[in-house]
Amino acid sequence: MISYLGNSIIYISLVLTILFYINLLKKVIPSTTSSLKLIYFINLIPFGLLIYAFSISDFTLLNVVENSYVDDPFFYKVTSAWGSHEGSILLWVFLINLFGVFFLYKNQTVEIHKNILFISTLFILYVIVSSNPFIYVEANENVLGLGLNPILQHFLFVIHPPTLFLGYIGLIVPFVISAHMLVNKKFSEKLFKEMLIWSKISWFFLTGGIVLGSYWAYSELGWGGWWFWDPVENISLIPWLLNTALIHSLQVSIKSNQLKLWSLNLGLYCFIASVFGTFLVRSNLIVSVHSFATDPLRGLFLIIIIAYLLAMTVRLNIKSISNFNEDSFDLISRESFLLLNNIFFICSALVVFIGTVYPLFSEMILKTSVSVGAPYYNFAFNLLLAPLILFMAFAPQISWGKHEKKDEQIPFIIIFSLLVCLVSYYFLNNFYFALSVFITVPLFLKSILVLKSNFNKNISFYSQWLAHMSIGFFIIAAVYTEQFDYEENLLFEKESTNEIKLQNNKTAIIKNIKDEKFQNYQKISVDLLISDGQKEKELSPSKNIYQPSGQVTNEVSTTNNLFSQYYATISTIESNKVGINLVYKPFINLLWLSAIMLIFSIFLSVVKKR
Amino acid sequence: MKISKSIYKLIIPFLIIHISVISFAGVNELSDYYKTIRCLVCEGQSIQESDTEFAINLKEQIQKKYNSGIPIKEINQELIKIYGEEISFDPPKNHILLWGMPLIVLIIIFIFIRNKIRFFKRV
Amino acid sequence: MKRNLLLPVVGLVVLVVSVLFYFNQSTNKNNSRDEVSILIFKTPDFINNKLINENTLGEFYIVNFFASWCKPCLAEHPLLMEMKKKGVKIIGINFRDDEENFKEWINEHGNPFEYILRDDGTIAYEMGLIGVPETFFILNKIIQKKIQGPLFYEDIEKYL
Repeated sequence: MISYLGNSIIYISLVLTILFYINLLKKVIPSTTSSLKLIYFINLIPFGLLIYAFSISDFTLLNVVENSYVDDPFFYKVTSAWGSHEGSILLWVFLINLFGVFFLYKNQTVEIHKNILFISTLFILYVIVSSNPFIYVEANENVLGLGLNPILQHFLFVIHPPTLFLGYIGLIVPFVISAHMLVNKKFSEKLFKEMLIWSKISWFFLTGGIVLGSYWAYSELGWGGWWFWDPVENISLIPWLLNTALIHSLQVSIKSNQLKLWSLNLGLYCFIASVFGTFLVRSNLIVSVHSFATDPLRGLFLIIIIAYLLAMTVRLNIKSISNFNEDSFDLISRESFLLLNNIFFICSALVVFIGTVYPLFSEMILKTSVSVGAPYYNFAFNLLLAPLILFMAFAPQISWGKHEKKDEQIPFIIIFSLLVCLVSYYFLNNFYFALSVFITVPLFLKSILVLKSNFNKNISFYSQWLAHMSIGFFIIAAVYTEQFDYEENLLFEKESTNEIKLQNNKTAIIKNIKDEKFQNYQKISVDLLISDGQKEKELSPSKNIYQPSGQVTNEVSTTNNLFSQYYATISTIESNKVGINLVYKPFINLLWLSAIMLIFSIFLSVVKKR
Repeated sequence: MKISKSIYKLIIPFLIIHISVISFAGVNELSDYYKTIRCLVCEGQSIQESDTEFAINLKEQIQKKYNSGIPIKEINQELIKIYGEEISFDPPKNHILLWGMPLIVLIIIFIFIRNKIRFFKRV
Repeated sequence: MKRNLLLPVVGLVVLVVSVLFYFNQSTNKNNSRDEVSILIFKTPDFINNKLINENTLGEFYIVNFFASWCKPCLAEHPLLMEMKKKGVKIIGINFRDDEENFKEWINEHGNPFEYILRDDGTIAYEMGLIGVPETFFILNKIIQKKIQGPLFYEDIEKYL
């Protein structure tokens, strides 16, 4: 029943879309807005239907059989809907149309909406051709479903992909607006402002999605890291970097009427980057922890979509490139520094892109297989982001157009931060931390000083101030955690040793080992105490064994110590010995806090108008 | 003439930072070194993070060699000879296209901007 | 006019190149070491405690890594037995295993190997082992082929 309904709705929407375009060509437009609304709403239905099918475990759908299990908790049953490839592509369609509906309230220009609808139709075709979740199978009473991958049964996982997708697809609005303006060569301030708001909304979700994903990896995968430079993480970073650049360059376009073509062309690439990201994840071209089983047809169809969008984009680029040299501004001006910001962000995005696809390139052209990982990205990002953050301290106070008065604080700030940097190097003896101190101290100092000055302060000032500050905190926290964490492998034996002395003179004690049974898994947990004589910290890492697959997952246990954290996982568990992997992560909570501040800052700037 | 002079003023702090980053980049410790070795059986993890037999064995072998006084650089060379370049997350520096990319891209964008955007002369 | 032509051409080239990229996923990973490790001839045999005599071994032989804890190793075990019947010389290397379990395993399932070496992981490292079971086909001390994972009939057909 649901299979029949789902398929027919998809085809109905396809037919309606075709009719819409025919009407548009014939220029008989009786009431375009309402027909747009109708198509958008129809396109929202299939995904809702899929969620319904998952929630009642309707095993007449192949997709439900493959990705759900009768005894899964209701919450995870529903979320299995986007755990599979088919479901996530349908979610993609759903979100494109959702953004279409919301954008329709703000802007009724048919010329813009027809592009959104066109992209949505491309993805609907994709659903029909190679990833239809509404495939019917004969219902069978013995079918209990194959189950959702247990590693994905986590609250954060449930909200991570939709959030990230919201971020990816939010970029469709800047994309269509840019395309519209570049095609018609008419620039209106209103459209630039709309573009800015939508790219901020998308930025909000993108940042949220990336942070959630990172936190999920940290707390669920049990590897003790929060960023792995895994291809899939990289791919979500590319649109983020480009979008950050876009938000900054749009300020220039709106406030000082410069860099318009620059922003518009950038706006095109943001969305291309997110479609490309989806393609790379879904086509299995690049090995990653997130790999999905796929067939070549899926990748091929996505390649065609990307090639088409890219060809259109390049066409618009070539058209506009001859008009680029209309921009002119002073070298020391806000515009110039925002442009500098753009250079570094675009450059970082390209570096991430190249690092991600280089193994592919190397294998095909050079015939050697290489892996590109943390060492390369750390090198490249140190190179690119260090100067960027140094400039971030001073750039926001430089005036638009032409900067007249010299900032007398700069030499003092630089000297002061150099001093702090040397002191921290002397005490901690770590180059990377000293470097991060050197680049962030001016930012903190300048941020405090500017609060006291009579600089024009409003909500957008505070949101920008908060965003820059949290970047500073983030860098300090990230570098500190990475440089000063330490790991210990503790091996307890049941009879002889249940106490082990740690490097920092604390003791780890095993209390007891529990074996519990839950709805769809069995849980073996170890109670661990870390004590320094007076205070005790409790940890209980566990291993979960899931039904029906028998897959085992490592559950992490953490305990906080203000900003720092102990992080424990079970490495081995046998009848007479227990191995615990204990990691001390200093300042890791500051990192998460700064990420929350960052997300809050953009929230502030989006809602300030209302 | 004036413009290009002030551009250099901006570029000098970059160069200082860049050179210092390059000269200090390097791995010192064993556990940091583990993070640069790919676990070939576990899709994108390093052996530091993995508990597979492959990773455990590799860690043991490397530890043995390290304890007997062989420098990490040599261990790494041997490892690459045995398992191929794929084993290391730190690709050899002869992949110029890869390692030079940040600078190449920066230069291209700077040239593009120099040609496309007119800066006022400062008085 | 020229510009109008240029764009479809660029688009087409992008399309063709990307399609080619997609289907041309070569599996050429042949940049690892191809000589057999000399450690094999320096480790005493488990059964008679003697070193392997290279001369009696002949120019073609097979090195097979296995362990008692490894389930896929059991799957390829009958094929190894069959090869032994046909006179193919197989050096078995027991990878990181408990001695008792290993003995039990051999007694239970039979011994397809000409020689058996026990390895704490050193030989495996030298040979570039990725995971058990893994089989190396060696001709004149050069590794001709290696198969990661259990053997199938098609892999060894020509040696039977």
